[in-house]
Amino acid sequence: MEPPEDVRARPGGGSGGVGALSLPSRIAVALAVAAVAVMVAVHLLAVFLHVAPENTITTQHGDLVAEYIYPEFEQNWKLFAPNPVQQNIHVWARAEVRKGDGSTETTGWVDLTAMDIADIRHNPAPSHTKQNELRRAWSFYTSTHGDQNRPIGTRGEMSRAYVQRIVETRFGPRLNGGAVERVQVRASTTPIAAPPWSNEKINTATSFQVLPWWPVDTKEDGS
Amino acid sequence: MSERSIVPSPFAGLGRALGKGISGGLARLTGTAIGRYQTAVVRMGFSLAWMLFLLREWPHRQELYGPDGVWSWDMAHQLIADNHAFSVLMWTRGQLWFEVVYAGAIVASAMLLLGWRTRTASLLFMIGVLSLQNRSVFVGDGGDNVIHLMAIYLVLTRCGQVWSLDSRRRARIAENSREDGPQDSQDDDPEDGSERGPQRDTTGIVLWSVLGAALVLVTALGLLSWGWAVIFWGFWLAQAVWWAVNRYAPDREPRTVLDIFANLAHNGTLLVIIVEVCLIYATAGWYKIQGNRWQDGTALYYPLHLDDFSPWPELSHAMASSGLMVMVITYGTVIVQVAFPFTLFNRRVKNVLLALMMVEHASIAVVLGLPFFSLAMITADAVFLPTGFLRWVGDRVSRRVRRMGGRTVPEAAAEAAPGADAGAQGQPEPSADPAPSNLVG
Repeated sequence: MEPPEDVRARPGGGSGGVGALSLPSRIAVALAVAAVAVMVAVHLLAVFLHVAPENTITTQHGDLVAEYIYPEFEQNWKLFAPNPVQQNIHVWARAEVRKGDGSTETTGWVDLTAMDIADIRHNPAPSHTKQNELRRAWSFYTSTHGDQNRPIGTRGEMSRAYVQRIVETRFGPRLNGGAVERVQVRASTTPIAAPPWSNEKINTATSFQVLPWWPVDTKEDGS
Repeated sequence: MSERSIVPSPFAGLGRALGKGISGGLARLTGTAIGRYQTAVVRMGFSLAWMLFLLREWPHRQELYGPDGVWSWDMAHQLIADNHAFSVLMWTRGQLWFEVVYAGAIVASAMLLLGWRTRTASLLFMIGVLSLQNRSVFVGDGGDNVIHLMAIYLVLTRCGQVWSLDSRRRARIAENSREDGPQDSQDDDPEDGSERGPQRDTTGIVLWSVLGAALVLVTALGLLSWGWAVIFWGFWLAQAVWWAVNRYAPDREPRTVLDIFANLAHNGTLLVIIVEVCLIYATAGWYKIQGNRWQDGTALYYPLHLDDFSPWPELSHAMASSGLMVMVITYGTVIVQVAFPFTLFNRRVKNVLLALMMVEHASIAVVLGLPFFSLAMITADAVFLPTGFLRWVGDRVSRRVRRMGGRTVPEAAAEAAPGADAGAQGQPEPSADPAPSNLVG
């Protein structure tokens, strides 16, 4: 590769441009230019294919793209797309507690999402613990579970354990004067009504998805 | 006038122009770090966003990232064993180690914000961002995602060339050596008395040695994958070579070649950052076009009625009450996002859209309660701001700071060169940079 002839002097520097260098240095610079160009091109191509919809290239070479992108260059920019979420999902939980006299009692349902929302209200900088934790844990759960709460792969069991841990953390080991032995989770979905100017009819009745009871790991509190 | 005059070929001279363009472009890519002010803004914006986020979550740090956080250490261990993400928090489960890493991430952010030992700071910043985010992947949002990517990219840029403590120190050293050089005068500045030669840098050597020792330790313990080991050792060795060349051969060829390497890495990465931001907007826009809510002009209405994204319900509902306004913002958002990458070819249109996007993100900060996401996105946008505008803002800010704080910039450089804005600009401006006088240039 022949270096360009009309290289300007390096701004702010003492020595001249590439043209003023010795041959080995010029070769080194040429190799560096080529290396950077290739790396930039590969990176941008991989990122493009990663964010693009499934297409001819990704169906054939998707593994290659994934191998390059994951874990550190993963990205998702489908923000409110293709459609924004059009329902309010709340995650609720209740517990079965064992009292001192040996009897058990089931608590009422606690709207954990509503507690998060109460904290977000009039807060200029809501915490990730209130804004993302439960919301993303629940979408992780639903995306890794099929019909009848059947877990899909190892991620399914992971997401269940995660949701349970969040509930246990929020309830603590004791509730209503008893030790928490089992917890149960349900999710309520309330579609957002169509805008007043729209003539669309949307049923805004709340529906519930109730999960089975999960026994709490009681090793820690020793009860 | 002949009826059959020959129309000149539009391709005439194309080859020559192309050749000239390539050689000129090559000279620019090797000779300068392009967008010094833009990369400095990106550096400051992302480090500030991450630092503010960490400070805000300080009371919740155990729940989010601690050994007994909701995403337990064992869950994280299981996931990372599968996807091989980088996190120093996985090295040990200890509570003390976690506290050190969290506090260290804040310190690294501050270092990068101020541009103190910028290259090292950017590596430590990246380690902090990746370690915390990869420890608990299910608590983040789009803002964390942008910070994650930019933390990696920034490592390869020369983002401390302006508006940094590094640039101020370099200017001061250059000033001293210029004074010392010809007249061999006595240096009566007590603070800089030790810096007799141009490249006497005790702090740098100590920092490099400490980090080298840490690197030896973690490598010996087998905590680094070979890929990360190559990266960290590579940067560590490069620092040593750069220091040696500056000290022993400052005006010789190896120094020039290393400078070219650094410029190439910077310019390549700057292109990656630019395209990355374009891809963010392009995908955000193109996926929206496919949604019927974005088509019927009501999309904005729904987030404004999502309970967990309306910290100010009165404001959100007031905004959502006007069908026309919802429609205008819904369509406007899609148009701006889809169009943005193409407007880069027209300076004026680009600047108008840039201003619109920044206003939109600033509104999102308040209305949807996403201040850190918004700060991250505005910072990403800032890579497209005109140099003239950035320099004007920098000048205003530094003047105000100096006026308010009396002498908050007690620098030898500022004294030695009266009238020079050493505090704000550090280095002389290369003539290649155009300096338009206002936003729409």
